Amino acid sequence: MQAVTLDPRRRRAEQTLLFISLLALSLLWLMPFVTVFLSAIRSQGDLISRGVFAFPKTLQWSNFAKAWNTGEFAIYFRNSLFLIAVKVPLGIIIASLAAYPLAKMRFRLSMPIFVFFLAGLAIPIQVTLQPLLVIMKQVGISNSLFALIPPYIGFGLPFQIFVMRGFFRLIPSELLEASRIDGASEFTAFWRIMLPLSLPALATLAIIDVLATWNEFLIALVLISANESRTVPLGLLQFQGEHSSNYVLLMAGIVISIVPVIAVFVFLQRYFISGLTSGAVKG
Amino acid sequence: MARGLVTEAELPAVRAKTSRWQHGWFVPYLFLAPALFFYVGFLVYPMLSSLWISFFDWDGLSPTKTFVGLDNYLKLFFNDEVARRALWNNVLWTIASLIVPTGLGLSFALALNRNVPGTTAFRAVFYSPAVLPLVAVGLIWSWMYNPQFGAVNVFLKEIGLGAIARGWLSDFNTALPAAFLTSVWANAGLPMVLYLAGLQSINREFYDAAKIDGAGPLQAFRHITLPGLSETHVIVLSLAVIQAFKVFDLIYVMTYGGPGQSTQVLGTWMYFQSFQYYHAGYGAAIAWVIAAIVLVIAVPYIRRMSRS
Amino acid sequence: MRKTLAICSLAIAAAIAAAPAEAVDKTTLRFFTIFDAPAMESWQPVIDAFKAANPDIDVKVETVAGSGAAVYPDVLRTSMASGDPADLFFMWGGEIAGPFIRAGQVRPVDDYYGRYKWKDRFASWIVARLQKDGKAYGVPYHARGMAFWYRKDIFDKYGLSDPKSYADLEAICTKLKGANIYCATFGGKFGWHPMRLLDYFFETKCGPEVHDKIFSLTASFDQQCVVDAYALLKKWVDEKWLVPDFLNVSPDDSRMPMYQGNAAMIIEGGWMEDVLKANDQDLKLYDFFLPPTDHQPQRYPAFPEQWMITAASKHPDQAAKFIDFITAKDTQVKYPAAFSGTATADVKPDCATSPHDCKWAEILSSDRQTYGLSDQAYTKELADIFFEIQDGVIAGKYAPADAAKTMQAKAEAWKAANPR
Repeated sequence: MQAVTLDPRRRRAEQTLLFISLLALSLLWLMPFVTVFLSAIRSQGDLISRGVFAFPKTLQWSNFAKAWNTGEFAIYFRNSLFLIAVKVPLGIIIASLAAYPLAKMRFRLSMPIFVFFLAGLAIPIQVTLQPLLVIMKQVGISNSLFALIPPYIGFGLPFQIFVMRGFFRLIPSELLEASRIDGASEFTAFWRIMLPLSLPALATLAIIDVLATWNEFLIALVLISANESRTVPLGLLQFQGEHSSNYVLLMAGIVISIVPVIAVFVFLQRYFISGLTSGAVKG
Repeated sequence: MARGLVTEAELPAVRAKTSRWQHGWFVPYLFLAPALFFYVGFLVYPMLSSLWISFFDWDGLSPTKTFVGLDNYLKLFFNDEVARRALWNNVLWTIASLIVPTGLGLSFALALNRNVPGTTAFRAVFYSPAVLPLVAVGLIWSWMYNPQFGAVNVFLKEIGLGAIARGWLSDFNTALPAAFLTSVWANAGLPMVLYLAGLQSINREFYDAAKIDGAGPLQAFRHITLPGLSETHVIVLSLAVIQAFKVFDLIYVMTYGGPGQSTQVLGTWMYFQSFQYYHAGYGAAIAWVIAAIVLVIAVPYIRRMSRS
Repeated sequence: MRKTLAICSLAIAAAIAAAPAEAVDKTTLRFFTIFDAPAMESWQPVIDAFKAANPDIDVKVETVAGSGAAVYPDVLRTSMASGDPADLFFMWGGEIAGPFIRAGQVRPVDDYYGRYKWKDRFASWIVARLQKDGKAYGVPYHARGMAFWYRKDIFDKYGLSDPKSYADLEAICTKLKGANIYCATFGGKFGWHPMRLLDYFFETKCGPEVHDKIFSLTASFDQQCVVDAYALLKKWVDEKWLVPDFLNVSPDDSRMPMYQGNAAMIIEGGWMEDVLKANDQDLKLYDFFLPPTDHQPQRYPAFPEQWMITAASKHPDQAAKFIDFITAKDTQVKYPAAFSGTATADVKPDCATSPHDCKWAEILSSDRQTYGLSDQAYTKELADIFFEIQDGVIAGKYAPADAAKTMQAKAEAWKAANPR
């Protein structure tokens, strides 16, 4: 009997304690964001004389416009957005096409091929860099954004195939069999039944892929040298090289570079997180 | 509704009829073709090509290469102090990654699993650093570590610990740990999310049964939670190790391998060798050492993923 | 039908007639440099002037700025490896250009030297420095000298004057330390900034002949003068004459303490005047003195910077024409902002607005002897090894004697692995 009456009080105490600790931890966790943002909206003189934690005397929003212009972020944004617009849909469709037979058709090489793709999750990018450079040169698209698309697709496939295959397997085969009876081709079954039913999974993969493409650094560093073709991470590093001692301007540039991904994350968290966990939990 | 809708009774008959292929044996391969093209062409083939290059001495630019057999690998393990240092740094980084960000992630997940109000918001806060480009993370923390103006030293001075304030990234002893702390901030979110999902999949009835039996919270944790998370552990720990051996962005941006090559890791040392010192063969060997280690460690992970 | 055909052909004929008579195909010249934002501003009028004078050539500028010789060569190399490099590019002298020349990526320009009579345009030491194996591979852009730049007001305040010997320099540092001012400031992130101080110690302790032999790896690092040089570096760190914790500070950042009056000196080149202007510093507060090396001849560190033409360029003639334009005295006199520190003889900067450039121009066109820099004498790999030891001495990881021994061992290993 005593256990029952003690429980609600203990539970509330535990909840309050947890909430307070979590709150404190979150504030600590957000500190870097706060520091950067605060530094970005003041003048250099204000920062140096009054220190990084002091609230600026006057707000200097012009840092953002100045960073955008001198940093040529318009070019970098354009490039990253172009990459995303081309690579993300293309990659997901290719992955879905591949996931379909792996999920819904029985053929001898199905599991080996699936494992073959899965192994890609563990392969480090470094081991493909030098040959990629040589391939792109031979094909003639080196030093352009197009050179990034094939490796990005290649490296994105393992995770995407895994998720789509998992999702496809959840779709009842009866639906497919019904269409096969009707004499429809496999491709029609894929296009008209599997894909439309998989929109949540496709959306999730798309969001994860958008962020991954925006953030990719090493392949771009090696394959791209022209400023015209730089993606946002490369551009940000270039910007830092040019203005390393103009702290407030640099912070403004950093804010500019991360606002899009933060926005995507904040508004679409749910899809994002569910996509990540589809690998950890069965079904 | 599909036209050929069958009734319950007819199902077995239908299944029997369609269990055999009505289309050619090549159909699956048609679907797989584009994916195989990109995957084999731009991942597998370059990887094998790197293996080939690693047996040569080549500057990456000229058309001629010299065959050197296993020399590059021997050099890596026995002759190159920086490479050994890099490997050691990777090992340290990995061990630390297995403990700190994963332990932190587990703690966050356990806390958030108690249905505290604001769980979604907290989860978002702790995960948010993981969505940023690592270049930005590196630059943000380089700023925080700025010896004169950065938040870390200013904060330390404010709370009276000014004596330990220093150039964290300039000091041989603290540069790597300081960079690692940055990666903890960026990487604790993923374990948290994975553990949270794992926790939520543990059957509630186990806990109720345990409470009836008089088990305390600690015992419940040891005998129900931890075992229940065993699958998640495999995934979280494998991912941590894989990530730790591939480290590049943070080191490149924050310390550039310095001071005095003390923070080089295999990922960055490979880059310096291949693309700055014109030793493409040696760089390929370093890359393959990374790949070999990671692939071996990833076997249980891949096995688990393919089983579900 | 016939009517439609008639109208169509008329339309096509009209279109052809209306098209501008492009007798000349426009060539695009890709021009790769390290210009940062302020430099681009001063160069834009120069490029526009060239385009105006040569309407058949369009010049596109591509840049990589900020980390000095650390990243730009990578990017250049990437573009060469990909088969798509620019037509002409900026390059430092010495071994930074070495690998590109050896890989056959640079076009020898002796023919253009003959055509445009470039030899007459520059001081002879500069042209000589840019030759390799008897061939000319580059055309001088800058002649850069480096020196100790210092805060005049701080020196005046404490009654200090230009040191004439190394002992004088130490005396200055001791006095400044007593006044709680750092003697000098450096940013060690890429290694080449503190290197300037170490190179000065090498020159001072080893003298010109031995120093040159060390640069060419024909003398050993494992000798007393080198140990002494490392010992001096250690001394400057231990005595707290240098702003501390600087191994990860970028060279740009390291100027801050000097602007704020917390440090008195820094080793920089002639470009410092532009930097001071860009950072709104009062030029009257700054001056420079050549490093007192206690040797005759008293050499100062200097190096040429050059323009090179890529071997893969499809427009070498246009590139050469552009180079001729930008190295011509006429052009440079019209656009002084883009050409401070120029190697072209007889281009005198405006002494009223650029007093330090004026002083430098005199020094650089004189017969005064110069010594090179470690990061130009050695390939990047060897230079990084040099910096590793340098950082080790600074952090106390290597005692000076060990540093010298280790450096020699590593240099020998490098030589064995990289036969020329």
